[in-house]
Amino acid sequence: MRRGIIVGGIVAAAVLALIAAGCGGSSKSSSSTSGGGSGGGGNATALPASSCQDLYFEGSGKPDYIVPSDLPLQGSGRTQTIEMTNAIRFVLKQANFKAGKYTVGYQSCDDSTAQAGKWESSKCSANANAYAQNKSVIGVIGTFNSGCAEIEIPILNRAPDGPLGMVSPANTYVGLTHSGPGTAAGEPDKYYPNGERNYIRMVAADDFQGAADAQFMKDQGAKSVFILNDKEAYGLGVATDTKNSATKLGLKVAGFTAWDPKASSYEAVATKIKQSGADWIYLGGLICENGAKLVSDLKAGVPNAKLMAPDGFSDFTANGPAAAGMFITVAGVPPEKLTGKGADFIKAFGDQIGKKPNPYSAYAAQSMQVVLDAIEKSDGTRSSVTDNLLKTDVTDGILGTFSINENGDTTRNPVTVYQQVGSGKSGTGKTFKVEIPSASLVKAA
Amino acid sequence: MARSRDRDTAALQDRGLRMGIGAALLLLALFAQAGFRSLDVAAIPFLAVIALIYVPPWETVPYVGRFARAGIAITIAALYPFVWDKLFTVPVFGSFPSIPTGVVMLVFIQMAVGLNIVVGYAGLLDLGYVAFYAMGAYVAAWFASVQFSQKNVHFLAVGVGSNTPGFHISIWILLVVAGITTAFVGVLIGLPTLRLRGDYLAIVTLGFGEILPQIARNGDNLFGFNLTNGPNGITPIDSPGFFGVNYLTGSGTFWSSARLFYWTGLLLLLITIFCSVRLRDSRLGRAWIAIREDETAAAAMGVPLMRTKTWAYATGAFFGGVAGAYYASFKSATFPGDFFFNISVFILCMIILGGMGNIWGVIMGGAFLAYLDQEGLADSGGWFNSHFSQAGFNRLIGFLLIAGLFAVVILAKDVAWRAGLAVICGVLAVLFFALNPVQLPLEVPKFEFGIFGIILLVVMLFRPEGLIPSTRRAAEFHEGVHDQPLYDVVHE
Amino acid sequence: MVTEASAEPLESTSRFRLSFTAVFGILLVGLVLFWLAVNFYKTPADFIQIFLIGFTLGALYALIALGYTLVYGILELINFAHGDVFMLGGMMAVTVVGTTLFDLTQGEAWYVLWPLIIAALLICMGFCGLLNVTVELIAYRRLRHAPRLAPLITAIGASFILQNIGLAWKGPNYVQTADVLPAGNVFSIGGVEYTWEKLIVLLVTTPVLIILVWLVQRTRQGKAMRATAQDRDAAAMMGINVNRTISFTFLIAGALAGVAGLLYALYAGSVRFDQGFQLGLIAFTAAVLGGIGNLPGAVLGALLIGLIQAFNEGLSWHSPGSDWTQSMVFGILIIILVLRPEGLLGERTPEGG
Repeated sequence: MRRGIIVGGIVAAAVLALIAAGCGGSSKSSSSTSGGGSGGGGNATALPASSCQDLYFEGSGKPDYIVPSDLPLQGSGRTQTIEMTNAIRFVLKQANFKAGKYTVGYQSCDDSTAQAGKWESSKCSANANAYAQNKSVIGVIGTFNSGCAEIEIPILNRAPDGPLGMVSPANTYVGLTHSGPGTAAGEPDKYYPNGERNYIRMVAADDFQGAADAQFMKDQGAKSVFILNDKEAYGLGVATDTKNSATKLGLKVAGFTAWDPKASSYEAVATKIKQSGADWIYLGGLICENGAKLVSDLKAGVPNAKLMAPDGFSDFTANGPAAAGMFITVAGVPPEKLTGKGADFIKAFGDQIGKKPNPYSAYAAQSMQVVLDAIEKSDGTRSSVTDNLLKTDVTDGILGTFSINENGDTTRNPVTVYQQVGSGKSGTGKTFKVEIPSASLVKAA
Repeated sequence: MARSRDRDTAALQDRGLRMGIGAALLLLALFAQAGFRSLDVAAIPFLAVIALIYVPPWETVPYVGRFARAGIAITIAALYPFVWDKLFTVPVFGSFPSIPTGVVMLVFIQMAVGLNIVVGYAGLLDLGYVAFYAMGAYVAAWFASVQFSQKNVHFLAVGVGSNTPGFHISIWILLVVAGITTAFVGVLIGLPTLRLRGDYLAIVTLGFGEILPQIARNGDNLFGFNLTNGPNGITPIDSPGFFGVNYLTGSGTFWSSARLFYWTGLLLLLITIFCSVRLRDSRLGRAWIAIREDETAAAAMGVPLMRTKTWAYATGAFFGGVAGAYYASFKSATFPGDFFFNISVFILCMIILGGMGNIWGVIMGGAFLAYLDQEGLADSGGWFNSHFSQAGFNRLIGFLLIAGLFAVVILAKDVAWRAGLAVICGVLAVLFFALNPVQLPLEVPKFEFGIFGIILLVVMLFRPEGLIPSTRRAAEFHEGVHDQPLYDVVHE
Repeated sequence: MVTEASAEPLESTSRFRLSFTAVFGILLVGLVLFWLAVNFYKTPADFIQIFLIGFTLGALYALIALGYTLVYGILELINFAHGDVFMLGGMMAVTVVGTTLFDLTQGEAWYVLWPLIIAALLICMGFCGLLNVTVELIAYRRLRHAPRLAPLITAIGASFILQNIGLAWKGPNYVQTADVLPAGNVFSIGGVEYTWEKLIVLLVTTPVLIILVWLVQRTRQGKAMRATAQDRDAAAMMGINVNRTISFTFLIAGALAGVAGLLYALYAGSVRFDQGFQLGLIAFTAAVLGGIGNLPGAVLGALLIGLIQAFNEGLSWHSPGSDWTQSMVFGILIIILVLRPEGLLGERTPEGG
């Protein structure tokens, strides 16, 4: 009885302390819709705070429409993705939150969880449903990971009031937009159940990257390559594409196997690779699947082999202490090679964040620009915005001049090869070469 | 006669008192939330409804008394989609859960009820429940998507073009098929564990819970056959439908997609609860209680041990499979990365928090934890970050640590406890004031599994029978059971 | 009395089970040996190299497995949190060895490196030992007489709390340790390279094991541990302070986990908050494989599991590949628990007959 009272007293005291400290402390009024008085503007309802951050809109009242971004904001890629959200905000602010006669707001939504450290299918699905059900959402920028896009595209495709359009700054899995030797049966049609396309992307697909990588290795004198993958959607896809391209080029594929992200040591795998006699090793996967340890062990176990990786390893500061000298490709143009509006963006945005922007920020910025243009030309409905997205034709934009074909792919597909210089926090990539692979090689990938 | 009336009045007064205190606390919290200025009157009808379910002695009404509370609760749950955004703002958590969150909550409650059969009724600690969830999801995926595009079989599927390749069987049929297949898998998983004692059984089920998702991940090349499409998962999965209305698009604002999924989920949950209650009160249920409390005595009384345990796994797996299939159809995708050990523990946590063996406890625990997982932690994190500055947070932690130190001194029964807790409080105090380790803004969802771990620890230590206990289980925990399995192979 | 009454049916079933087990076991072992022999014939140098890699890995697992086995022997409890204590030890090692405390980098002189590594070792051992004792005090002590379900669940709860502490401490990504151990080979014969790192792991593990065996067999505390493991009530009647003995056991187990954590951080080089659970299960499998409660059994089991892992990933003739490593380890666990729960080396030594 006495203990019960004491326990109850302590609990009540703690609760009151919570309320008291809360009331006394600073209370910035967090509202999920911006403040501002009455009149003007539209009546957008913001997306819920459990997945998305606050609405970004600096006009009076509320905007007419919302464009959310769906990116993984936790885990190893977070420096890249957070910078991408800032780039999107930058572009929106420059456009003064207007797309023609409509006002547009932005929300940054997260499709990852802290425990997984990367995207999670239930979050992707929940986010896509939220976008589809919220009438104010008129276009979506996302996703970063191809697996998440595989879930979201069909849901957005069947959204009420016409398919909801999605622009991806970073998805590279081939099967999302067209089929090829590396895709599964039924792709891409299975992602568009109502028959209309509603997805475009700003980057080259993995068949380009795989072809470019194989071409690069062959040009650098590779005799045989051992291809590893991380058994995830993106990694397996890009590794398969590289394998197909290498076979077509006559480059011997000494082995094709997976690495286990949860393993304590990759020395055994290194021994296997050494035994196979490969002089190049290709790491198809993401850095956050224990990629840094893999690179260290491979460097130690197979010292004479050269390492190459696609854009899963594109965060140079995260590649671990042994990564110096490895080649990394990114399906895109390096920031310093952008011209015109692109160069202006890099300079202005770089000044705002105080460092050189990473390659994906330009892609995110271009995505927002493309969405704004599509909204401007539309009549305010989802289906017309989606139609406009598929007819995108950009002249001297941030990424230069390109257009979107009927599959949703971009017509400009450079692949840049970087070489890692330094490692750890000071790691950067030195641009080595820009590859544009031949069309026949891409078809075979 | 008089004594039973006194007892009834006493119970009524007791419930009334508890309701009153709860209502007063809620109103106080709402008042505080509004800065002690105004009172949210939307809370009053809400409290009235809760009081209506809880306080009156419904069980005394003849003929329908037993079902009154359940009936009212079901009606309220069914009407929830119409009122969820018009209810008051909950302190700390913000809004009530949205309908899609409600669907996920219903799925997880269903899984919890299923696991309750294995853990709560039969006392078999199953740490691999995620394997059943995965099996159900993949069965739905195999027969309602373009996975096996070599064939083209359509059967009562709604909303799928007729020349889409692959199997497209109606989801309603698939729910049953998934349940039966998963029950079969459950029997297979259970068979090796029949003679093992509690902890080994837990580990073996854990092992299966890890092996099945790995088979799903590697399943794109099983001797050349693409069974599960590997890490790319199987997407999209068809949605259920009837009378030409497909659940993914819904039909208008009344029969919207989210509401359709919600009501169907509620219906599935009700069927599961009904089955669980009937099982509990059946001969099989009593056999489960017997083997849970004393295997040797049960065997001596003629309870067929192996068959009873196998039935526990089969039924638990059945409901897990149905829930998994429905969830896969709702998400319209299934990936091998969806299935991991923490989910099994998450469902176990629901049962333990709510009350092992007691269905209503499991439902309450399941609803609360599923809500926390989906929306609650993020919402409360948002509230927390907007109401606390770094200094305020440190002050709060300091206050709690000092309160903890007092609690240790007064409450801890033995020196060891006092020492251990004092060490922890001391170390944490040093950490907080010297190193300022917790930077605001706090990402509360990051601490999700730590919070569940604390729930498991605190509940098991102080109230192992859970919040809404079954009296039998409470007695078992406090008085002890004869834990030795009959075929304990270590003691020869 | 119960066992006597059911002796008859048990005998017949156990005889049947024994022959089934024996046949199955012999077939399985034979298949594995055949596969190893073919690989050895094809690539002998690589085989030996991979053998050495697996042996070193096994030594690491042995340290963790011993912790499991000690605790199980005395409490009959699977301490799920043990793997996470190891993981926190690894994180403490990363903090201490890296930039926070000692700031070691590659190529330090041996008179700077080794005293600091020994200091780090003591810090990690102390930290993990205290952590383990605290976990026991909070999570298990009160449930000494509760149904077996209860401490198992609190063990899982403690495991999750420790994982979350790791997540909050170092974040969700893999944390790299700087390469401070001397690089280069001890010897390199015919294509087989044996690096200093591997030798150092063995050089640290072996004395620790010897000290542990001495502790359990020759000291009074060790005798108390063995007595408590055999029969707790009788030990109490003999004047042994059961609570203190159990705390001491947890301290030793924690210290072992601390050593393992430091070695892991130095050798494997990357730590993540969820690795403890993973490696803990592997170590538990090793302990069960060798015979739970049996100290040499834990070491044997760990070496076997380390070798199996390495062979699976490294050999090239018909090896299942790293896709299936986890499934294989769990498969071994299930097969052992179902068919031969007493493990390879048989009955628990602390329990005696």
